[in-house]
Amino acid sequence: MRNIFWSNIFKSPTGELQSIVELWKDTPLFENIPTTHIKFLSKKMHVRNFTTDEKIFQLGSQGAGALMVLEGSVRIMAHKTELAFLETGDFFGEIALAEPEKRTADAYSVANTRLVYFLKQDLEEWIEYEPRLGARFLMNLSATLAKRLFLANKTIANQ
Amino acid sequence: MPEQVSIKTQNAYAQTFKIFVCMIAIILAGFYLLSSVIIPIIISFTLYAIFEPATLYLVRHNVNHSLAILIVLVFLIFFTFIAIGFAIPQLVEQIGLLQAKLPSIFTKLEGFLTQYSAEFSEQIGIDLNVSDMIISTLSQSSSLGQSFLLNISNRLLGFTIVMLLVPFLTYYLLKDFRSVRNHMMNWLPNASFELGWLIYHRVSQQLQAYTRGVMIQSVTMSLICMIGFSLIGLDIPILLGAITGILNLVPYVGPVISILLSLLVASAMTPFDPSLLYLGVLVIITAQVIDNVVVIPAVIANAVNLHPVQVILGIIIFGSLFGTLGVVLAIPAIATAKIIFNNLYADILNESQKQSL
Repeated sequence: MRNIFWSNIFKSPTGELQSIVELWKDTPLFENIPTTHIKFLSKKMHVRNFTTDEKIFQLGSQGAGALMVLEGSVRIMAHKTELAFLETGDFFGEIALAEPEKRTADAYSVANTRLVYFLKQDLEEWIEYEPRLGARFLMNLSATLAKRLFLANKTIANQ
Repeated sequence: MPEQVSIKTQNAYAQTFKIFVCMIAIILAGFYLLSSVIIPIIISFTLYAIFEPATLYLVRHNVNHSLAILIVLVFLIFFTFIAIGFAIPQLVEQIGLLQAKLPSIFTKLEGFLTQYSAEFSEQIGIDLNVSDMIISTLSQSSSLGQSFLLNISNRLLGFTIVMLLVPFLTYYLLKDFRSVRNHMMNWLPNASFELGWLIYHRVSQQLQAYTRGVMIQSVTMSLICMIGFSLIGLDIPILLGAITGILNLVPYVGPVISILLSLLVASAMTPFDPSLLYLGVLVIITAQVIDNVVVIPAVIANAVNLHPVQVILGIIIFGSLFGTLGVVLAIPAIATAKIIFNNLYADILNESQKQSL
């Protein structure tokens, strides 16, 4: 626990920024967004360390932004049902980029995990001076959310 | 079931209150430790809130960060010197005029009150002896004023030295505040990391909007009153307008004091023109109407969402605890406290509801 605490305070290893940029670049959220801008945003992101079975967030809590798995794995649960198992490069909690009110599921780290927080406030600041790219990002976000809604509907229909 | 919900709500309130009181205690201790430099810190943070967008704008246009800050600060210092060079001689002249007028203002006030107290005494049949009361009050206020002036001149040197900190603090805030802030937020445990950022974001948004709004509001009020007072021919229009703009920082109470001040100045003018009394009040009321109809909806609306009763109580409590500084800081402090309390409460309530499932 103490190690996690101190590792959250001190800087991420050098070179990690580049891998964060590469991982975000491969996600649908940053489709058609220039790498320089992904790098600019990645510099503002926050890397946090979680121990095995640590709660990342819980259903109903307020969300500050989206998260991406940098190392390790994450389990997404709702009412004791596993919704997803995420590994390096997967992202979750992106609803909070659109609506910060409530998290819609619980998230736990499965092993020792490093996560990258992409905060809504940094996105808003970026959109303010890059409205054209910001609109593209928001379209990507809408498409991602629509896809997740479609999958959720399909799961419910199959039950 | 509803009883369980109510107990959970009460427990969440109690827990939030405990954490909140601890936070307030830590903040007050910090204020106490920094009390000798608290004014330059507040001014520097205000300047930071005002000038950070300009710095970021330059940085986004490929200007080096340190150079961008220097450009902004050079502009700030340049315009401050121009403003001081233009305003100080006029203000000194007008303060001299006001000083010369004070005895006649007091004499007129005394004559006015003596006359009305005599009429009032005749009507109710009791001798109120208001004249003696006024003379004693005026002599007390005069000695108080003298000691106040002496106190001010003694403290002026120390204050000037402390105020020299402002440009340096502002420079380092503009340069390093974000990285220091990020570093400090990293100290939060994982469970509170998101909540911490949410609260920070909401508080900073509100404070920045409030600071910018209040600055625009004060300047607008000052300009309207300066022009208005000049047009009606009231003495010391620039000083009076500037004071009205500054007093506008204190809601409800400030405008009343500025009206009283304009009445005093108008009543001391020779030859005495009664119409100036009404016109002076009219200028301030017009400025207040413009403020409430145009400036507040455009720049301060939604910046703070507080009930008027909360505002008035806050001003009284903060004023009695921290003096003039408390009166000015009451609204942003209450708005900040409200955001922190509400967010903590929502989080603790959600946690307790989740645990009981």
